Amino acid sequence: MSTVNGPVVFDAHTLPADDNVNPYAFSVDLDGQWFLQKGKMIAYYGHIDFHGIGHGRLDRLIAHSFHSPLHAADWVVAEGKGKMLLADRSFDVNSYDLEDGNLTVRSGNLLAFQPSLSLKQSIVPGFLTLIGTGKFVAASNGPVVFVEPPIRVDPQALVGWADCPSPCHHYDHHYLRGVLGGVRAFTGLGGTSGEEHQFEFVGAGTVLLQSTEQLMAEIPTGETPDQAGVPHATPSNQPSMPRMPGQLGDLQRRFGL
Amino acid sequence: MAQFRLQGSKVLAVDLTGDAVKAKNGSMVAYEGDMTFKKMTGGGDGLRGMVTRRLTGEQMEVMEVKGHGTCYFADRATEVNLVSLRGETLYVEASNLLAADASLRTGTTFTGLRGASQGNGLFTTTVEGTGQAAIMSDGTAIVLRVTPSTPLQVDPGAYIAHTGKLKQHFQSGVNFRTFIGEGSGEAFQIRFEGEGLVYVQPSERTTFGGDV
Repeated sequence: MSTVNGPVVFDAHTLPADDNVNPYAFSVDLDGQWFLQKGKMIAYYGHIDFHGIGHGRLDRLIAHSFHSPLHAADWVVAEGKGKMLLADRSFDVNSYDLEDGNLTVRSGNLLAFQPSLSLKQSIVPGFLTLIGTGKFVAASNGPVVFVEPPIRVDPQALVGWADCPSPCHHYDHHYLRGVLGGVRAFTGLGGTSGEEHQFEFVGAGTVLLQSTEQLMAEIPTGETPDQAGVPHATPSNQPSMPRMPGQLGDLQRRFGL
Repeated sequence: MAQFRLQGSKVLAVDLTGDAVKAKNGSMVAYEGDMTFKKMTGGGDGLRGMVTRRLTGEQMEVMEVKGHGTCYFADRATEVNLVSLRGETLYVEASNLLAADASLRTGTTFTGLRGASQGNGLFTTTVEGTGQAAIMSDGTAIVLRVTPSTPLQVDPGAYIAHTGKLKQHFQSGVNFRTFIGEGSGEAFQIRFEGEGLVYVQPSERTTFGGDV
């Protein structure tokens, strides 16, 4: 069997260790544990078990690496030894190394991470923050571009940011000012360019952009505590009922209803 | 014999000198020279194919392309992968087969539970003989070698094809946690053992198994 100008053949030993196989698939050299989003494993060599999280044996690990327990059901722990391939609907995947750092990423883009990192909900709704040292894998619609602030970016192109630049909204006030501007903004009459609103980043750090404006579906980041001063996620992003560990719920979502 | 080559990664070019290829119905995008296109019944297997493919649900709309020149094939901008066969059998889902040399025999075979878990039915298409075939994948396909010492587990939704002497097992990690809503999302896998190559795509079809 030969593959004339066909793809390269990989085996258990020639698969890259913790690196991309091609722009759409990432190979993890697993020896221990990794967190991954449900259903993103496409193949593996070796002995690997997959555990839904939120139960007994993995409690200590989860206490260390997982700080938004109410969305735990979307994550899986892969445990064992072998090579594991990750991919997500043939989107581009990239791995990132954090060294005693932090990175905030849109919830739907994060695919997998090492347990040496801890995952927390971001104060910004719909985003997750990874803190610590280790490797993680994120997907994006098109290759990722790294830029340094100060910069204004299109909301749909934003994947995440690292090392704490400050994210804020920016409006094109010259265009939106006055009665006519209001009419334009609310009705689109008189022509809007669709670019009157951006996210602005200032401060030291890096901003990650994807090269299309097609968002990846968000996954719920969990309810935030109901306290004064805590920003709330929009209801569309969140399940209407908070999910408790061990709860029967969300089966309907998993069956695509 | 028809010469298969890739024009970019998403278009298959076939050079024909009076011979023929079988290709997915409607997948021709352009041609140079003289070509005739003939719809083939029963996935190219004639009356027997009509009956077995109807019975097995492994429907395949195939046309025969014959002539002199170059014919280009593509389907929904999916990636095309070439496979050269020398007397072996290629097992592939009918929906992933783009084209095959006319001298290759196609048929259907029983796959058991693996097919059911993929939502592709209990049967799969076989291509055997000597010649080239082109298979499609959602994203660049990855070819993984299986040896007796390194068996491979594949998510049913990412599997597209395999060749060689491989035994398939259906492996399930379903336990009581799956039923209390804490499944791992990786409850079903196909385990390949033996000697051969498995083609996977970096994307998962929606399957029942992927959800629990």
